[in-house]
Amino acid sequence: MGRPALSSTGKRKSGEPIDAYNVPVRKRRMKPREVFLFVLLSVGSLLFLLPLWWMISTSLKSPQEIAQYPPTFIPNEFHFENYVHTWQAAPFTLYAFNTLMLAFFAVVGNVLMNSFIAYGFARIAFRGKRFWFSVLLATMMIPGFVTLIPQYVLFSKLHLVGTYYPLIIPQFLGSAFYIFMLRQFYMGIPKELTEAAKIDGANHLYIWARIVIPLSKPALAAIAVFAFNGAWNDFLGPLLYVNDEVLYTLQIGLQSFRGSVQTQWNYLMAGSVIVLLPVIILFFLFQKYFIEGMNLTAGTKG
Amino acid sequence: MKKKRFVYPLALVAVSLLLLLAACTPESRSSSGTPTAATGEEPKVTLDFWTFWGSETRRPIIEKIIDDFNQSQDRIMVKHTYLPFGDIWTKNLASIAAGNPADVIVNDYADVNLRASKNQNTDLSSYLAEDDIESRFYPELWNNVLYEDKAYALPFNTDTRLLYYNKEAFREAGLDPEQPPQTWAELEEYAQKLDKKSENGYEQVGFYPLWGDFGVDSWLINGDGGNGYFDESDQAAINTPGKVATLEWLKSWQDRLGRQTVDAMKADFGSGVSDPFISGKVAMYIQTGTYNTQIEEFGQDLDIGVAPIPEREAGSGHWSSGGGFVVEIPKGAAHPEEAWEFIKYLTDVDAQKYWAMENFDNVANIEAAEDPEANENPVYQASVENLADTKVFQVPLSASGYKDLINPHTDAVFLDKETPEQALEGAEKDVQALMSKNQ
Repeated sequence: MGRPALSSTGKRKSGEPIDAYNVPVRKRRMKPREVFLFVLLSVGSLLFLLPLWWMISTSLKSPQEIAQYPPTFIPNEFHFENYVHTWQAAPFTLYAFNTLMLAFFAVVGNVLMNSFIAYGFARIAFRGKRFWFSVLLATMMIPGFVTLIPQYVLFSKLHLVGTYYPLIIPQFLGSAFYIFMLRQFYMGIPKELTEAAKIDGANHLYIWARIVIPLSKPALAAIAVFAFNGAWNDFLGPLLYVNDEVLYTLQIGLQSFRGSVQTQWNYLMAGSVIVLLPVIILFFLFQKYFIEGMNLTAGTKG
Repeated sequence: MKKKRFVYPLALVAVSLLLLLAACTPESRSSSGTPTAATGEEPKVTLDFWTFWGSETRRPIIEKIIDDFNQSQDRIMVKHTYLPFGDIWTKNLASIAAGNPADVIVNDYADVNLRASKNQNTDLSSYLAEDDIESRFYPELWNNVLYEDKAYALPFNTDTRLLYYNKEAFREAGLDPEQPPQTWAELEEYAQKLDKKSENGYEQVGFYPLWGDFGVDSWLINGDGGNGYFDESDQAAINTPGKVATLEWLKSWQDRLGRQTVDAMKADFGSGVSDPFISGKVAMYIQTGTYNTQIEEFGQDLDIGVAPIPEREAGSGHWSSGGGFVVEIPKGAAHPEEAWEFIKYLTDVDAQKYWAMENFDNVANIEAAEDPEANENPVYQASVENLADTKVFQVPLSASGYKDLINPHTDAVFLDKETPEQALEGAEKDVQALMSKNQ
């Protein structure tokens, strides 16, 4: 900060005395290992940012420039109007509202129900608990595609196809993965706390709402973020269950730029950037919890 | 009374959620409801029509056609639902399994018979018995909607492939721009005259058969007298002298230009302005009829001509290949009779002519396809004339998935790992094994 910077290689003119300990540039020099790691991580993150940059760059190009060879990394001309055009090409404002609403229910449903169920598995002793817990975990082994058609048939028999219910109701029925995650977290909450409350006359509902939930905010936030992400990016669900274009979501809307013959890449990418934006913002706001969530699943915390 | 302090808000949240849900839910349309008219007349039937035509160019065209149909009578009301290409058929399968499919859906030719055999679309023969409209379609397309001699779909559109050539390049090379090549020999002769080579490689390649939209499959049809991979009795006819000669001929092009040149140039090809034909890298190029709209958009200065695909030798036939889409009634649709009325309208002259004129897409209805107004565009006219030589093949049910067995063999030819005879012999054996396994 404001100091003369040492050249990164540390080379000096010959003859000049090297006085590393008195150079007031940094309090501590980076060790070679750290430098190596730093470079590796920088290159790694650049590599991961590349597709994102490509998407943004494509979203600002004209169709002619997209087709150009060799491709340009930075657009020659910036076509910001692509974004306006994209938004107007289909009723995206409506789609955004629909998607937000589904995401809202997904977040509420997953946070409330999973923590409720997980509390039972973590704190209440009942017969066959271990058995039911393994049944729960076993459901994670069934790939979603296997249950796709039976689930569709079920909702169809309930006359719910064509509404949002098939997309919302399952969010309130618990998800094995989140339940497992939360149960591990709850196991880490000192028993003394909940038992003291019990002695004071609190029932399970009270303990859950007043003690366990406030203590597990980071875990719940992680689930909220995952659930939002899942609902926001869901394509197959709305595709199968919704029949009316008024109920379409952003992910389906985006597909209208992809045709059987040709794809309007600039609009598709502009739309994708817009749709991705909330997820990126969310990530930066809740970065802490995202990483917390990773830790939870990795089992290093809990 | 501490308990109530949070049970109460919890209940409130639950109730408000329920209310929100109820408010956000439209009336269920799971079985294409039949809302009655306000005046108490005969109830109107609502049909759900699924297409993948959601782009800014195609959506207005199909919706105009639907609108015209809705105006033309007062018994049936068609509602258009756009679904993404490819995914539309996933949804179709799920909804058929659940028994609440769309009333009409756009699907492809290739598997009409497969879907019929798996009970996924509706047999139209009883409607056709009363109302025979078979004659309005090209027979070649009609054959593709049949399963055990019964129709399970109506042809909607189709496509065909033509030879586009650059007249300016023809003049430069001293060729007559009004005389496109007619036979393979002429094609080779012209191509070599049109090649422009510099120190750094080719500036312009006259022609390379596998660039563009005419693959090995299509060439094998062209070179084997218009015959596909299966004969009339549904037996594999892959290792035929005509096909072996064709594959040898295709390989000779790669041998002459060099595999590296072919691969390197192909890697450079893009679409739009960097399309190889539009950018002048290739002087002759095989593409579909609708490719002309790209030329009109990106290559206005090009002076082009179109011609049928050259034939192997004079008289062997200018065979081309085609595909396209049908309209069908999914099995279990709630209103098949009304759906029939609608698909009849979709394939009738007015709707088909409108589709053809707005899209320059080939249509299945002969009268509409040959309408003079639609044929004012010379390229479109050429594509319509080309339909007479265009083959669209139905795949025998037992050979479903056969292409995955043939492609590795033909690829091996161009990698110098198999000779054309070995490749086609191997492909035929593999396909026969598949068919006997499935029979």
